[in-house]
Amino acid sequence: MSEVDRERPRHMLFDAEGKPTRDKPWIFRTYAGHSSPRASNELYRQNLEKGQTGLSIAFDLPTQCGYDSDDPVARPELGKVGVPINSLDDFHILFDQIPIEKMNTSMTINGTSMWLLALYVALARERGVDESELRGTTQNDIVKEYLARGTYIFPPEHSLRIIAEMYEWCLEHVPNWNASNICSYHLQEAGATPAQELAFALVNAIGILDLLKERGRFTHEQFEQVVGRVSFFVNSGIRFIEEMCKMRAFAKLWDEITRDRYGVKNPKYRLFRYGVQVNSLGLTENQPENNAWRILIEAMGVTLSRNARCRALQLPAWNEALSLPRPWDQQWSLRLQQILAYETDLLEYPDIFDGSHVIESKVEALCESAREEIDKILGMGGVRAAIESGYMKSELVRSMSERMRAIATGELTVVGVNRFTEGLPSPLLSGDDGGVFKVDSSSSEETLAVLEKTRRERDPARVKAALEALKAAAKNGENMMEASIECALARVTTGEWANALREVFGEYRPATGIEGQRLGLENDRVEKLRARIGALVDRLGHRPRIVVGKPGLDGHSNGAEMIAVAARHVGFDVIYSGIRLTPEQIVESAVEEDADVIGVSILSGSHLELADQLVAGLERAGAKDIPLVFGGIIPKSDFAALEAKGVSRIFTPADFELVEIMEQIIGVVEASAKG
Amino acid sequence: MSVEWIDAALRGEKRAIARLVSLFEDRRVDRASERRRVIEALDAHPEVRAAAIVGITGTPGAGKSTLTSEIVRHTRRLEPELRVAVVAIDPSSHVSGGALLGDRTRMRLPPGDVNVYFRSQASDTALGGLSPHTFQVCRLLHRLFDVVFVETVGIGQNEIDVRHLADRVYLVMQPLGGDEVQFLKAGIMEVPDEIVLNKCDEAEAALRSYRALKAALSLARPFDGDSIPIHRVSARTGMNVELLTERILERARLDRQSSLHAREVHHFARWVEDEWGRVGLRALESFGGAEAVMREAGDFDAAQAFFDRKVRAAIAASTAS
Ligand code: B12
Ligand SMILES: Nc1nc2c(ncn2[C@@H]2O[C@H](COP(=O)(O)OP(=O)(O)O)[C@@H](O)[C@H]2O)c(=O)[nH]1
Ligand SMILES: [Mg+2]
Repeated sequence: MSEVDRERPRHMLFDAEGKPTRDKPWIFRTYAGHSSPRASNELYRQNLEKGQTGLSIAFDLPTQCGYDSDDPVARPELGKVGVPINSLDDFHILFDQIPIEKMNTSMTINGTSMWLLALYVALARERGVDESELRGTTQNDIVKEYLARGTYIFPPEHSLRIIAEMYEWCLEHVPNWNASNICSYHLQEAGATPAQELAFALVNAIGILDLLKERGRFTHEQFEQVVGRVSFFVNSGIRFIEEMCKMRAFAKLWDEITRDRYGVKNPKYRLFRYGVQVNSLGLTENQPENNAWRILIEAMGVTLSRNARCRALQLPAWNEALSLPRPWDQQWSLRLQQILAYETDLLEYPDIFDGSHVIESKVEALCESAREEIDKILGMGGVRAAIESGYMKSELVRSMSERMRAIATGELTVVGVNRFTEGLPSPLLSGDDGGVFKVDSSSSEETLAVLEKTRRERDPARVKAALEALKAAAKNGENMMEASIECALARVTTGEWANALREVFGEYRPATGIEGQRLGLENDRVEKLRARIGALVDRLGHRPRIVVGKPGLDGHSNGAEMIAVAARHVGFDVIYSGIRLTPEQIVESAVEEDADVIGVSILSGSHLELADQLVAGLERAGAKDIPLVFGGIIPKSDFAALEAKGVSRIFTPADFELVEIMEQIIGVVEASAKG
Repeated sequence: MSVEWIDAALRGEKRAIARLVSLFEDRRVDRASERRRVIEALDAHPEVRAAAIVGITGTPGAGKSTLTSEIVRHTRRLEPELRVAVVAIDPSSHVSGGALLGDRTRMRLPPGDVNVYFRSQASDTALGGLSPHTFQVCRLLHRLFDVVFVETVGIGQNEIDVRHLADRVYLVMQPLGGDEVQFLKAGIMEVPDEIVLNKCDEAEAALRSYRALKAALSLARPFDGDSIPIHRVSARTGMNVELLTERILERARLDRQSSLHAREVHHFARWVEDEWGRVGLRALESFGGAEAVMREAGDFDAAQAFFDRKVRAAIAASTAS
């Protein structure tokens, strides 16, 4: 048994000729894009020079939600969290001097994915690049948008059709393009446990494959190929052993599903291919330097095991909970990957966990819970039904509430937050910029100017015809890709493309998931709060009402959901209507419901603009006396400005104790209650 | 002071309406006289209205809120001059007392429309499908609007309350699952004037349910079961919602009562029962009944305090002797 094979020892890797070798490293990605197409283009070229091997494009929220940069809802968000793209002219600027035929381009785009792919193909056509050479991925996973990320536009039925059509079109025209990427990354960021991450991502994939089968446009041969193109985007959290096991469980379950449910014979097409972004939810505002270690540990979870190693990896930065990363922050995280891949011996070994009973048992346990949940959802009618009924969203909010409870009680340790909180001030925060990134607002002028020029110079007749053809295709059930490419070539804008389809498909608001949720936190402090609210009921003549609002295009719902759940838990009557409301809608809710306080959650960086709009709205409605509190990613340097606009209290991720936040809000209501 | 809001409220200004609604929800005893002043001022006002009150009941998840939103949208289009209010009731937590008022999430109404007003209400710990304040608020909204929709919690028991509030009650059902079969047994079939079978986009299940419903109706209501209309609609696709809206508006015109007097009498008696139990009801009887007590006290708002005093005096007298 223990005889060592002197020729080919088991701890080494060999190439086809039998020579010892090292694995090829994964693709290093840096998720980037901001301000304007020109600024982002510069950033990409710098990153490519530094040795980055793929492009990963972040779009701004208006582009992701299908609005032009000059739309009123777009203005506060313009260029904030990614690059704005209005038309093909912007793509020419964005990819200037970047050889797209050599790039592997990953686009984080969902609600408007078909449009962005159409733009990319149109760019290739205008540059004379053979479109079949294009490589890359459109994220294009609508299910997790409804559940966690928030950049959906149309109802599930129509959104899923768009995805199916992209698979069908891509297989024929751009065979190396991943039409969509099933994401569980965002689910963990919204609270999912490992079993939920597994199950939800896999039923999502099943939903798409079932749909493709049902549409019947593929031969079985082609269908197998499509299955082979399905790739995943997974999260890797701080419990890195479990996370490594989760990756193995994914591979195992995917192999089962593709073989048993879809009869895929070619094992190559049953491979679980995945990219990773490591967990950001656990990255803290307190002692932010600690995040560097968390990121390193999380990166190990998805690289240590060769059989479950990711194909591509992107890392957040140490200042994740403070702002978007600056170029230096990104470079620091990229260096981590380079050290791991090139300095260490990681890539020299076969799988170092094969044969471990511990790992095997853990993997099987994860598979078992995931299978159970998958069966449950399929029994409900599948992923679409479980979205429409709100089941999946509600399960995520439950897990997130549980996480918040465990942090509050100290059951879950978060260093620097609920343990080991005393520390020396971080020198990383002491630079001129305070360690945070500020968007250069002058670049929005340029974006708007380009948009205006595009509109001025295009051929209106061609634009009109292209949009009509798009609507016709949408109504007739034809594939909308070619019509979208013609729109792109005709210089249709992002907002026009989306509006044309809104006309045909309508818009959608998914379940908020907060109904029936409990915080599970019962202690003296909670009891005291309930008593204080009881006293307020007597004083006000009614139970205090809080409107929790998410204005603008920001899809970060965790904070608002937790505030809503906590507020009810201590005895508020709570009105929360989900994300992506206009400031006018929030003001109207507060006025109609005669709210005692409005709580606003903004993580996208547009708090100043949105505060102005909210305050103006309250003034118009004669309701300036309703106090406002804010929460989210709000830099200390903006506190004074917000307070001057009339915001009573401001909370950030450092305020992790929901009960304490509630104490403060009740204080605000008590202070403003007259009589 | 609240009287100052009246002109603005009749103009449709939402802040004013909302403040008045809060007055009518206010649980402090001393607010009754304030309410009385508002009612008197309204009744004397040339612009006062007299809304029809439409009850929307049915199990949670049947689609009451979604459908109400669609009905309101159609109403706005069909009869733009009508003022419409919606009161939607959600359950309160027994532990904390707080409620998540989620019905608003389903409302897809153009913001800034001065002719539509939406208000959420928590059920408190009341057992019925309404909040203890729903009737009070309806007394106000009745005078400010042309149609008032009341969406109940829909838990099942005591949904019967809505009959004593609304001019007409619509029971919204969805294609039957296990729960609904229970519901049919639980006597809910006694409540509605009309039935709306929603979610008929799920065609097969809808047809099955339609038949089951017809059968259940003739069992539960042997005398009028056959004449109860069943509307098959889909709030999601809009199927038949316009027709349903036309029907509701037409009935609203016919059923609308200019006075809520009879219902005030009922709700006053309900209040007596809630506060004083059987003893109270016996006392009420001995004082000549709810209507007589209300007349003696002056009106609905004064009646509670009046009754309170009278009962206490009677108790004091009986213990003294
Ligand atoms: C989780 C997360 C996500 C999840 C969101 C899941 C969900 N459904 O919420 C996912 C993965 C989907 C996501 C996506 C994106 N994200 Co993100 N995300 C985060 C992350 C890691 C944590 C936020 C969080 O949920 N924390 C947990 C909750 C409970 O805490 P919280 O919201 O901070 O709320 C607490 C307090 O702030 C306060 N509070 C918050 N709101 C309110 C409201 C009231 C009334 C009160 C009283 C208190 C209060 O109380 C809460 C309790 O402690 C942050 C970075 C970080 N570590 O903070 C980035 C971050 C917010 N994301 C960011 C970005 C850029 C994005 C994207 C736009 C990226 C892109 N270009 O596509 C997308 C798009 C999302 C969209 N549609 O808007 C940026 C924002 C940058 C900025 N402001 O300048 C951040 C800061 C990361 C970074 N450094 O780049 N994200
Ligand atoms: N398929 C279908 N779903 C509907 C329809 N109407 C409402 N729904 C869905 O049913 C669920 C419950 O709706 P809601 O209006 O909140 O019900 P309520 O609890 O009775 O107020 C939501 O997910 C709605 O989207 C319909 O006509 N068809
Ligand atoms: Mg409802």
